[in-house]
This record gives sequence, structure tokens and C-alpha cells, in this order.
Amino acid sequence: MIKTEKVLHLNSSKGRKVRVVREHYVREQVSCGSSLCQADCRNDGKVLSGDVTHCVVPDVGVVRDFLEILEFRELQGIVLTQTAYQTVQHTRGRRQYNRLRALLKDPRHDCVLFANEFQQYCYCPRDKGESQDKWHTRNVYNAAVWYYNHLAGLQPVVMITEDSDAISEFSALNSGVYVISTKEYLLSFWPDLQAAHDLYNSIAQTLQERESEGVEKVYTEHLPAEVLEAGIKSGRYIQGILSVNKHQAQLEAFVRYEGSASKNTELNSDVLINGAKHHNRAVHGDVVVIELLPRNEWKGRTMALTEGQGEEQPLEDTQSQPMPSGRVVGILQRNWRDYVVTFPPLEEVQSQSRNSQKILVIPWDYRIPKIRISTQQAEALQDRRVIVRLDSWESTSVYPTGHCVRVLGKAGELETEIQTILVENCIHVPTFSEAQLREMPVNTEENPWQMDTSEVSSRRDLRDTHLVFSIDPKGCEDVDDTLSVRTLPGGKRLELGVHIADVTYFVREGSLTDLEARSRATTCYLADRRYDMLPAVLSADLCSLLGGVDRYAMSVLWELDAETLDVCTVWYGRTLIRSSYQLHYELAQSLLNGEEIEVPELSRLKGSQRDQKLAELLQGLETLTRVARHLRAQRDKGGALELEGVEVRAQLDEEKNITALVPKQPLEVHETVAECMIYANHWVARKIQESFPHQALLRHHPPPKQEFFNHLIGCAKARGFSIDTRSNRALADSLERAVDPQDPLVNKLMRMMATQAMSNALYFSTGACPEEQYYHYGLALDRYTHFTSPIRRYADVLVHRLLMAAIQLEEEGSLSKPFASNKELEELAQHINNKNRAAQHAQKQSTELFQCLYFRDKDTHTDERCVADAVIYAVRTNGFLAFVPQYGLKGAVYLKNREGQVVSVDGDGRCEWKAGIFTFSVRISVEPSRCHADSLCLELISNKPHCAVQPESLPAGRGRSELVQEVVRWAEEASIQAEEERGRKSKLSREEKQFRQSRTPSLYVLLQEISELALLDLSVCAPFESGLILLTEVLS
Amino acid sequence: MAGLELLSDQGYRLDGRKASELRKVQARTSVFAQADGSAYLEQGNTKALAVVYGPHETRGSRSKSLHDRAVINCQYSMATFSTAERKRRPHGDRKSSEMSLHLKQTFEAAVLTELYPRSQIDIYVKILQADGGNYSACVNAATLALVDAGIPMRDYVCACTAGFVEDTPLADLCHAEESGGGMSLALALLPRNGNIALLQMDARLHQDHLDALIEAAMTACKGLSKVLDGVVRQHLEEVSVLTRD
Repeated sequence: MIKTEKVLHLNSSKGRKVRVVREHYVREQVSCGSSLCQADCRNDGKVLSGDVTHCVVPDVGVVRDFLEILEFRELQGIVLTQTAYQTVQHTRGRRQYNRLRALLKDPRHDCVLFANEFQQYCYCPRDKGESQDKWHTRNVYNAAVWYYNHLAGLQPVVMITEDSDAISEFSALNSGVYVISTKEYLLSFWPDLQAAHDLYNSIAQTLQERESEGVEKVYTEHLPAEVLEAGIKSGRYIQGILSVNKHQAQLEAFVRYEGSASKNTELNSDVLINGAKHHNRAVHGDVVVIELLPRNEWKGRTMALTEGQGEEQPLEDTQSQPMPSGRVVGILQRNWRDYVVTFPPLEEVQSQSRNSQKILVIPWDYRIPKIRISTQQAEALQDRRVIVRLDSWESTSVYPTGHCVRVLGKAGELETEIQTILVENCIHVPTFSEAQLREMPVNTEENPWQMDTSEVSSRRDLRDTHLVFSIDPKGCEDVDDTLSVRTLPGGKRLELGVHIADVTYFVREGSLTDLEARSRATTCYLADRRYDMLPAVLSADLCSLLGGVDRYAMSVLWELDAETLDVCTVWYGRTLIRSSYQLHYELAQSLLNGEEIEVPELSRLKGSQRDQKLAELLQGLETLTRVARHLRAQRDKGGALELEGVEVRAQLDEEKNITALVPKQPLEVHETVAECMIYANHWVARKIQESFPHQALLRHHPPPKQEFFNHLIGCAKARGFSIDTRSNRALADSLERAVDPQDPLVNKLMRMMATQAMSNALYFSTGACPEEQYYHYGLALDRYTHFTSPIRRYADVLVHRLLMAAIQLEEEGSLSKPFASNKELEELAQHINNKNRAAQHAQKQSTELFQCLYFRDKDTHTDERCVADAVIYAVRTNGFLAFVPQYGLKGAVYLKNREGQVVSVDGDGRCEWKAGIFTFSVRISVEPSRCHADSLCLELISNKPHCAVQPESLPAGRGRSELVQEVVRWAEEASIQAEEERGRKSKLSREEKQFRQSRTPSLYVLLQEISELALLDLSVCAPFESGLILLTEVLS
Repeated sequence: MAGLELLSDQGYRLDGRKASELRKVQARTSVFAQADGSAYLEQGNTKALAVVYGPHETRGSRSKSLHDRAVINCQYSMATFSTAERKRRPHGDRKSSEMSLHLKQTFEAAVLTELYPRSQIDIYVKILQADGGNYSACVNAATLALVDAGIPMRDYVCACTAGFVEDTPLADLCHAEESGGGMSLALALLPRNGNIALLQMDARLHQDHLDALIEAAMTACKGLSKVLDGVVRQHLEEVSVLTRD
């Protein structure tokens, strides 16, 4: 090692310039990270593949400004220099730095970091008077030359830079390294990668624009970070996350406190930030620092319902009590993501600005301000939805500037809208790459997959001893749970078994599939399709516990006392099973009801043999039901909640036509399966928590805040019920009592409101949470986790690994490799929570999309289907919020339109004000919106119920499932027509394949979600958005 | 601006060292002729000068002297030009007094004071340039000065700091690492028998990590002792060559 020195000029803590001398050690051996390395560098970790045609060394400026281009996975062989890496760290925010780090860590991405500044022959000290940029570029060039020589010229090295001086200077030196500009590089090496070219142009233009900015100030400048920090410490400023009101995006935003920094008791609520001036360029989700305004400037929040979302409207005296108000003085952390925007039609573009290069586009999300974009493709892009990234928001500009990233498609088309929903929720689901699929075992006709003999011998074989069966919805492909129950010899004990697909056997930790599954975290179900977490060969075949084939499983076996059903012993471990029956819920229920029904697996058998088998199965099912009832009763004693659930479910045949509608009540067998799964989850949670007290992944459900129940209590009081919310037990009991025999909807609505008062159940690492917070409020269990669906949830995969580690720890006393630390696990838990929330939002938004598409072409005045009953559940100053049980819709109904006219009630003319719930009829129509998602509009037409209250006779074909099917059919037809117009044969296969994906997940999933209250995040959704929609959607 | 990254994913520290590597150590003894013993030591960019007087009669009040062993008197100071911004008060402030006390404790454990009853040994240390690890530079320099003065000691006293970042112990912290968050542990070791002369840490650290951290600091101290030993031997050679003539 050789010691040199480096002189830096830094700002001291007091803000003065200080000259600092730092040591700098350089060495000869620095790992190069290339598989072609000739000098046997010690390359551990990621290595560049050797089969690329060249490697590319981007300059500092390229990494700083064009990082997004380097993120294309198609670009391979990228060598990032430490010089560039550190520049990003010092000059750009933490977000971009983290993105760069993630890029380097991602094994799917072919790039490495080369620590050039620590390499003896690469590092050159800064010359006197040399500018920093020049010095950096020189260093990067030196690194490129060294790299070329290090690989002994086996691979051409290209350095890309944005500095034209550097190109001319270094190209002249004949060192074997090509120095070209980024544009030239893309053109000559990646001519086909159109997306990268577009992105490059878009970023370059934005950079150019930024240089030629005006100077007129629109907003006050943000304060420097030191001042903010000092202000927060002294209590003068407050730190929090800005959340913009969806319905008043320009006007209202709130800041919620982080932590308990403020001791000021009167500030226990959120702080209102009123008006764009006070927002001061903060965007929804940013971490901001605010200053409170003097008390005489405080405003109240708007209570009125507004129709024109996002548009500024004169506010009259609709404001409530003044609340603490403030203004943003600085932003600590931007939280920008990719936004979907819509380009305006051409006419508007020209009127917007004189030079048509800058265009204001409108984001899909109401909470985001309009974005200014420089592009020359305005004509081509009109009415398209486009992904945009924000670059900056100068104080001289009214709107933030951004650049285009990718075009999604024409607004209003089904595909575009679905893509929009995915992007807006940050769900990234590319098709599985070849490298990932190569890891998968093969199972084809010619080459069937076979079990490993060593695996067979190391696992407990349950194939001959246990009667294993699965109960799922009809047509389910990914069977991840099976059950078994038997009486042990002697008759004193029962053995209950839950066998879960052994995904971790196939998905090894750290493999590409594992990383992909981790980043997806969950299978995402939309209204008409699903995006799998694991490749289909696993999820629908090798992991899936199908009937009649040998499969690997993870099992939990309980020995229960046959009389009292108390647990005597528990066994966890890896097993081999062969599921004998793949039942579906209806079949199982019919069997239990003693009906004569054909079991497909037994149709080949005859006579007494068949009767015997059937009796065996039946006995198993009955025992299972008995056990499940007992378990449920035990949990009820603890205070488990039962919340509002399902309505109608449609069954489909091959052509996606509805063949039958399943009755509304869930069958008992649903609950039986769900109960066994909850039990398995509970026991696994206990096991891993005991073995790993500081690093087990559990799931808890914090008790809800009491003030959220106020609305429910008020509503219940109006109907004469009292709701006790002191504990989950009391709540469950009082909900049980709140039944109006005349109107079954009342209880349903009550339960729905109770659901909305709850917070989400969340994953966490046991080391990050005190033990008393492990409690699961909804299920009334002290430990809970997710174990039973590893095919569609990553959390379960983690829990499987933890369980295996726990078993190993018990048997061998040590672990073969250390498990993730508490910190890592907690980060992972947060990630999974976020992804789950995003998936749920996407699901809900896709449902709304289908609702809108369904009603779009209906004539609102003539079509019967557009008139429905609704129930009021909350009243605002100019309207009320209503629930339409028939479609599971919720929405606002206005009693006053924009012209100020008020709805008058004639006929008997009496309009009584009474609180609570009453029924009336509404007309549903679609309010078209070009830039945002369409929304449904409810219109009051009569204060009498449209059809007399007889919920049983509601036309059953009006369920949500039908709605989705119909819309899908339209889309299909439209695409077929389009195909035909092009003079080709209609090709259904693609659509069919795509849409057949929408297999129903098991109903157990649904019940579990209901009981776990994994509902919407209350803080994000508009008040009282439907939780029900979400739940029913899981079914369809 | 994103914060400093004390240990990169590739295992490099800010200045290019790996986690267990020490800074470059250079030292010279007998730099001043007037004092009984003196040494100059550079540990990276931290530069220290140590001067030893004694053992001699107790100066000042007699009451301070001890009947069975020598009193060790330490004074630590920093040059006004030692830091990036000029220091106002070179010695006598709270930090310096604490450091003097620590030095005193360290050397009371190492010097065979019982050989010199009723006398006094003065150790003056000055930091000429501060770049982290001031305490350890002072101890190492003072050890050399004591050796130079011919005062018998149980062993070399070697000191080194160690920090802890992302589950990895870092040896011999520089200023940027000391001030960039995280914690620092100072250890003075008598390397031959592994006795600890002084261990000091004023930060929170999980108990589980403490052993690993001390282990890292001890390894670093043992490395340092070799360097110091080399310096002493080389000096001896030079001196003996001179005296032979």
C-alpha cells in the first residue's frame, strides 16, 4: 500500500469553508470484477460476464445525469468507476444514490463497481488549478485504460462521456480505449433499443432547458439543510410527511407528525397546508419541514363534497373550525416515483405556450401537480398515457419539470389502463427472464420431473400412511395447502395435518428466482388477470399439490386428544405426500351434507371398494369439521372478529361464460379450511419465535384507535344499537347483537364500518417490536405469521426458511449458515408490507376501472341496470355518502349541483333529517375524465327504495364477477373486430390465454384476508372507500 | 447529498484501507538532545511528539511524592495548528486534562515505578497534527520516548482505536471515521502478555459485538508493537554504529 494525500475543501459544521487533508491509500491489487481477468484478482460477489462484445465505462457526468439509461437491463458489461459512484453520492440525493447501489447489487444487471481510486496505477492526483470535473474525467479515463490493459486487450473498452473536450483530447491518445459520446454509443451499439434513445433525448432536452431557465421567482426558496435541522431541534419547525387531499389537490394538504417531537399539546392533530404557495413545491409523499402560521391565518378544512376533483373552486362558508395551518419551508427528502400522465390533445397544446416544446401534462394521480415536459413528440403523443419522471422543481417555475420515460398507450383502452394502474402502484412485473427460467426444473411430457432419491430418503414419507386431500375453489391451479386427519392406533388421539407446498426446496435462497420473487413479494390479482410471483412451472405444477402425484411438502402435524381436542404434541418438518383427492368447496360441502354426489377420483372404482373409500373420505371430512369448530370456538372466546365478506361468486366454464352462481353465504367448509390454516400459521409462528426471538418474521394487527370508531358508534346509535369498542371481544359481541331482523343490510354495514376503523395487519421482525405488540387483534392470537401460501406470498417463503432453520437448530444445535439479521428482516418486512399494499390498491383500482367500463355504454335513463338501491351512511354539508349493496359501490351523492340548485323532494314532500342509515334509489352513470380514471357518479332519483327491500331476490346476475366478465368480453370482441379489419383471421388464443389466467384464488385466501383485515390503508384512501370491493374482488 | 459510507460494499474504507488495515506508521526516537528521551511518531496524518524527563526528584511540593514508587506526571496538549480550524486553547481544557489523566493511568500500568521511589517521571506529549486516534498516537510516541530515556517498562505499551460499522470492526480510525457517526474504542495493550493497560469507550454498543471489537483492537495493537520494536532496534543499530567509531 502506498500512502498519498488528498486535499479537500469542505464546509465545516458552522458553514465556513475548511481545507481538509485526507489520507488516501492506493494498492496494486484491486478486484476488477470481470470474468476475463488474467491477473487472478480476487473477485468475490458480482462478476461481469465474459460473453459481451465490449465493456463500457461511463463518465461521471453520464452516471450523474443519465443513470436511467444505464438501468436498462439490455446494456451489459458496465464498469462503474468509484469516481462516478462517489460523485453521485456527494452531488445527488440519497434516492439516486440508493438506486445506483441497488443497480450494482442486482444480479440480474450486468454491471460492477471498480474501485479505481484505490488502484495504484489508475489514481491520478488532482493537478494544481485543474477543475474538479476535468480531474474526474481524467480519472475515469485512466481507469478505462487500465481496465483495457488489465484484461490484456481481450475485450474492447468504451468510455462514454458528455464532455466534448474530453472526447477530442482522449481520442487522440492511442491507448486502445474508445472515447465517444453517449448518443453515439447508443446509436452504434444499441441501434435497436428505441426506448433508450427516446429516454436519452428526453433527458438531454430537459437538461438543456434547465440551463436556460428564467429568473422570475414563483415560490420562496427552501431553507438550507443546516437551518432546517437546527429549526427542527429547537422546535421552531416541524418535520412530517406531506399528504395531499385527493379531492382538493391544489388547496389542501396535511402534514402528519413523525415521532413525538412536539410537546405542544394543542398540535396533536395534523397540520393543514393551504394553497399552492404554502405547499412550496412539495409533492405528495415528500418529507417536508413546515413552519406554523400565526393563529389569525389558520384555516379550517373543507367539509363539502366537491365534484371537480383537482380544480380550484371558490370556497364559500363551508369551512369547519380553524385548525393549525403552516407552510413548507424546506424539503428533507423527495419521494418521487414514476408517474403516469396524459398528453393533452393538440389544440390545447398550442394554446398553452408559444413554443410547442414545453407541454403541461396532467398526472393520473389527482394529488400530483401538472408536470412540465419538453418534447418534440407532442403530436405523436397526444391522448397517450406516458410514464414520466420528475427532475426538479425550481423556485422560478410554477410546475415541476420532468421527462418522458415510456409510452403506455392510448388513454381509455383496457390494456393502457391496466398498465397505468400497475405503474401508479409501483408494481413491476416483467415476464420472467430466460436466466430465471433456466433455473427451473423441467417437467414436460418427454422429460417428466422426478424426485431426488436422497430427498426421498431424508423426508418423512406420508404417501402410504396418510389420507391427504385438498379443498380449493373449482379449477384452482396453484394448490398450496392440503389437509389430512386420522385417528391414531389406540383411538385415544387424533392426528391433524396441514401440508404446504415446499416452495423453498425449488427456490433456493439467493437464486435469481428468489430475488425476483422477493422484489415482487406477492402475486398480484387484478380484476381480470393475475401476475404470478413464481414462474408457472412452479406455481401451477411442481409446487402445486395436485391430486394423484407425488409432491414435496412442509407439514405441521398435531396430535390431539380425541375427546378434548387439546394439543398433545406438534411435529414440523419436510415430508412427501400424494394428495388423494382434489376436492372443491361445493363438492366437499355436499359430501358433508350427506348428498349423493360423484367424486371424480372414485368414478373408476366400483361397488364395495368405492363405498369404502367414500366412507373413509367422509369420515375424514367430518372429523376435520369437528376440529375446526372447536378451534373457532376457542378463538371466539379470545375475541376474534368476524367482519363483512362476500356476496356473489360466478362460476365459469372454458369459454368464460357464467355457468352458475354460487349462493351468497360462504359454506361451512370454507371456514373449516381457513381455521386449519390459521391454526397452522399460529403454531409455526410460535415455533419460529421461540427459536429466533430476535429475527422471526411474524404478522401482527395493532388494535385500532378508539376515535376511528366514533362514526360506527354514531351510526349504530341512530339505529338503537350500542357498540362497545373497548376490546376485540366486546366489539365482536356487540356486532353480533346489532342485527335488525327487518334489514340484514344493517349488520353488514356495521361490520363494514368496523372494518374501516381498523388498521392493516403488518409483517414485522420480532427484534424490532416489543413483545406485547405481537398480538393479532382481528384473529385474537398472540403470535401469528403467514406459512400456508408460499406460492403466492414471499413472506411465507421466508417463514418456511425460518422454520427449516429452527428445526435444524433443534436437531443439530447449530445453523449451517446464519439467518438474516433483525435489521435486514425488518427491512424486508417493510418491503413486503409496501408491496402488499400496492397490490391491494391495484386490485381495487382495477375493480373500479371495470365498474366504469361496465356502465360506460349504458343509457343511464333507460337502462334498468343503472338504477339501484343505496344506503346512506354519512352526511356532508352538500350531500351524503352512499353504499349500493347491489354492486358493492360506494360514492358521494350531491344534493346541490354546481349551479347551486338544490334537489327538491315532491310527492308527499316531507324531507326529514335523520341520522343513520336509510334506503333510497340512485342512478349510476359514468363521469368521463380524460386524464384520470373515470369515476362513477351517483344521482338521487327517489327517496323510496327502487325495489322493495327484499335482498334475497336481488337479481343475482348483477354481481361484480359478471361485470368483470362482460367488460372483458367487450374488450375481446373489440380486439377481434380490429383483427378482422386488418384482414386476418381472428386470433383468440392470446386473449384467451391471458384472461384464463384469472383463476380464482382459493376462497380460504379470501376468508383469511377478511379475518385478518388486511384492508386498505386508511390514510391513503378517501374516507370510507369500500373495503368490501376489495374483498369480493379476491373472488372474481 | 447522501451521507458518508464508512465501509463500501467492496470492503474499502474512506481512505482506501480494508477493515483491518492500519494507517502507515513512521517514527523516530531521540529527536531532541536536551530531554532524557524523546520520540516523534506519525500514525497516518496524526503526528505526535513525546518528550520524557526523569526520573528525577519530585519538583514542587514534597507531599506529592510517594515513598514506594515514582510519580508519573503526564501533560497532553495540541498545537494550535493541529486542526483544520485554528485551535484557541492548546492545553488545559477539559478534553486535554482527561487525556492527560488517561495517559497517566496507562503508563502507571506499564512503567516499573517501584524502582524509583520518591521520584518523578514527566511525560509531555504534543499533537502536531490531529487526524483521529490522538490518544493512541500519544501512547505510542510516549512509549518510544520512555524507551529512549532508558526507563524500565514491563513491555511496550501499544494503543490503537477500533470502530464498528455494519457488523465489521474497523481498526485504527481516521478523523473522518471518528466523526462520521458510529463509535470508537481506544485500547492500550501490553502485547507480550496480552494485559490491557487501558480500555475506553463512550458510546453505545451491543454486548454481543464487544468481544469482536476488542479482538480487532488487540490484533491492531500487536501489529503496532512490531513496528515500534522495529523502530527501537533500528535506532539502536544506528547509535551503536556511531559509538563504535
